[in-house]
Amino acid sequence: MSKKVLNLARNNAVPIMFVIICAIFIPMSGFSTSYLLNEIITRMGRNLFLVLCLLFPIMAGMGLNFGMTLGAMAAEIAIIFVADWQIWGVPGIVLAMILSIPLSVALGWLCGTLMNMARGREMITGYIMNFFITGWYQFIVLYVMGGVIPILHASIQLPRGFGIRNTVSLLNMRQYLDDLLAIRISGVKIPVLTFLVIGMLCLFIVWFRRTKLGQDMRAVGQDMEVARAAGIKVERTRILSIIMSTVFAGFGMVIYLQNMGNLPTYTGHSQIGMFCIAALLVGGASVEKATIGNAFLGVILFHLMFIVAPKAGGFITGDTMVGEYFRVFLSYGVITVALIMYEAKKRMVRSRVGQELAAAQKEGEGAQ
Amino acid sequence: MIAGYVLPPVLKKMGFPRLIISGFLLLLFIMTPFVDADLPAQITNIINRFSWNGVLVLAMVPMIHSGCGLNFGLPLSIICGLLGATLSIQFGFTGPLSFMMAILIATPFAVLLGGGYGILLNRIKGGEMMIATYVGFSAISFMCMMWLLLPYTSPTMVWGLSGNGLRPTISLDGFYNQVLANFLPIQIGSIVIPTGSLLFFALLAFLMWAFLHTKTGTAMTAVGSNAVFARAAGISVDRVRILSVIMSTWLGAMGILVYQQGFGFIQLYNAPNNMTMPTVSAILIGGASINKASIPNVIIGTILFQGMVTMTPTVINAMIHTDMSEIIRVIVTQGMILYALTRKTEGAK
Amino acid sequence: MKTRRKLFPILTVMVLVAIAAAMMVIGRGHTVYFDNRTLEGYNGQDFKALHRIVVTVKGEEAGKLGPRERGMAVWIGQNFEMTLEVTPEKGDEPEIRTIRLKLPYNMDGIIVNLPAVLAGLPEDAWLSEFVPAVPEEPEEEPFEGDEFGFGEGGDMGLGDI
Repeated sequence: MSKKVLNLARNNAVPIMFVIICAIFIPMSGFSTSYLLNEIITRMGRNLFLVLCLLFPIMAGMGLNFGMTLGAMAAEIAIIFVADWQIWGVPGIVLAMILSIPLSVALGWLCGTLMNMARGREMITGYIMNFFITGWYQFIVLYVMGGVIPILHASIQLPRGFGIRNTVSLLNMRQYLDDLLAIRISGVKIPVLTFLVIGMLCLFIVWFRRTKLGQDMRAVGQDMEVARAAGIKVERTRILSIIMSTVFAGFGMVIYLQNMGNLPTYTGHSQIGMFCIAALLVGGASVEKATIGNAFLGVILFHLMFIVAPKAGGFITGDTMVGEYFRVFLSYGVITVALIMYEAKKRMVRSRVGQELAAAQKEGEGAQ
Repeated sequence: MIAGYVLPPVLKKMGFPRLIISGFLLLLFIMTPFVDADLPAQITNIINRFSWNGVLVLAMVPMIHSGCGLNFGLPLSIICGLLGATLSIQFGFTGPLSFMMAILIATPFAVLLGGGYGILLNRIKGGEMMIATYVGFSAISFMCMMWLLLPYTSPTMVWGLSGNGLRPTISLDGFYNQVLANFLPIQIGSIVIPTGSLLFFALLAFLMWAFLHTKTGTAMTAVGSNAVFARAAGISVDRVRILSVIMSTWLGAMGILVYQQGFGFIQLYNAPNNMTMPTVSAILIGGASINKASIPNVIIGTILFQGMVTMTPTVINAMIHTDMSEIIRVIVTQGMILYALTRKTEGAK
Repeated sequence: MKTRRKLFPILTVMVLVAIAAAMMVIGRGHTVYFDNRTLEGYNGQDFKALHRIVVTVKGEEAGKLGPRERGMAVWIGQNFEMTLEVTPEKGDEPEIRTIRLKLPYNMDGIIVNLPAVLAGLPEDAWLSEFVPAVPEEPEEEPFEGDEFGFGEGGDMGLGDI
């Protein structure tokens, strides 16, 4: 019995650690329950979709998709056009999602292809890919938009005649998705429609795991060579998983931006990947296994920590900046630890397989 | 593939991306007279920047040699350097002595942290680069807290009003600003050569070169090119790797100190973040790959990269009247790293 | 089987394009301004500003307009609908009227002259385009982000080196 509890604790060390951190920090921060509840629900609506898109590459054994930012950039380009054409409200949100698809597919395909070329280094490749595409994104947003592709409204365009301003207002799209069908329970706003959309993605993921493609992905994730021997097109499957992740990341970014209500053109996407990955890991996911439950739990715990840390830091040290750095440290730390655990485990398995192989060989020789 | 048939062997050996970047740089040089840019000033600038960044790029070499990949964990070594720098000032050293003391104080930190980092990297062979990146980030954010909390008191460094916590930028005037550069500077026309800094780099580069030709050095190269073979030859792979990480960390710490003496400021908090990508990219531009790097790679890479960094803003801006240099720099830097990552690793795995 | 395989993506793309086109139409937003001012010299006739008009759009009051006052509302789509509570002269009993207007697709800001609308005049009488003043120099206020404290300045790990 006690062994079981111990095992449970060991397997969920990260979420338990964050529960403890939150439990200590919440009273220190002095926030009211209804404020925290409101914030958490807002942030769940804002971030869950983005976090869920990470599940596909994990399924295919490609690790944490640091390249999900590509989808976010595709969404940003789409949303700039939608804002410029003045398509507002829910139709604008839907249009931005549809417009982001072709870009996301192209970028996802590129990212997947490069990851196939850099097998075993998928994560760092995705990570560098971010920065590389960010360069092109800036080129498009600063020079092509307004320079080559006409931008109609001066409120979006830089005064020099081309390029997009630092912030694009999405005021007429702001929280339209959240507010449609929203209900209020004792001062806490619940964006029902947003949660329905997230729920649909969850259902899709559950369904997708059972399809032929989903099964293939899991087979590839388990062992690429075995999957290849079984006649699965490994490269294609891996690229598809990245494309799906990128497309859903684009949708997620549109949801994120409609909640924020404005688009910071040049910095909006830069930390998205990082925070989604940290949130997923806080929920108890690992590099090779993640569930929908991990995503939900992760978003709640991670954001709770993020909200309360500055004030709690101020309470302890008298300086809220310390708390802010502390939460950043925790987010990086949790990713670092997860990566280390994953690689160490992979290496252990590999050496065990090697030993078993050697032992089997010896036995074989003995028998001869 | 096609390049192999068309290009002479020398150019083929240079590699396609390097060819493009060298060509680009050459083009920029040719363009300078036409856009009224001050060529001697540009050259002085490139030499200066080379002297600032050379040692940092050199710090990549040991880890690449031992097969630990590109050191995205550079911020960790920078932090060792920053600790040396701030403590040296805190203890009241000034002038050239403060530089010596900074080196001295940074060394034990580099050995300790580098050793720990090396042990960690040994446990996660194969995933070094991603983990190095995040070790770097964690170290930076941890030190962000520490810069605020550690009991520094030197009035040149702490916030004037509250009196606790270090400032983000600390001027080195009166400490070791230009301490190397002002050693035997040579002036040719309007070009000033910071001889001291270059000599310091040359010294470290020579030591590195000499080390790579010792028995331990060749063992390191062997580990990097084929770990299985190296183990079979009786080399203690793990120990060699730890040694390489310690060397990289120490060189990185030296690198940031040299950078500071040229730049004139200590930059704390998130600043170490900004050094990683350019440094990694520079050595790759110089012709290194994920598991192969040499001193010429360092020198060529730093010159090409810094040349690009200094020349693009002036020349491109003069040509098209907009600042596109930042974007070009990002695309070249990251494109270079991507290229190196997606290439098949040379030698057996 | 093979044709089905090919058909499916084509159909998906077509459906998406159709939805996008529909969104372009029904999602087009307009800013509508209501003027309660005298329209002079239309076909040699004047249409006097009214004492008070209360404009309600989508259940929200968009303005209580005395003479020469202007109200504003945003509207998504082209079939605009508003409820007016009109008091022609001081002391009159207010009269409630629901007005439906067809907005031109390509106009962002639309000025509606209420007295003309109430008099049942054609579109060219009550409609004019609102041209915003050229926006002042960039009001690049720092973005209030998700308070994630890094990447300040968005330097992407590539600051000044």
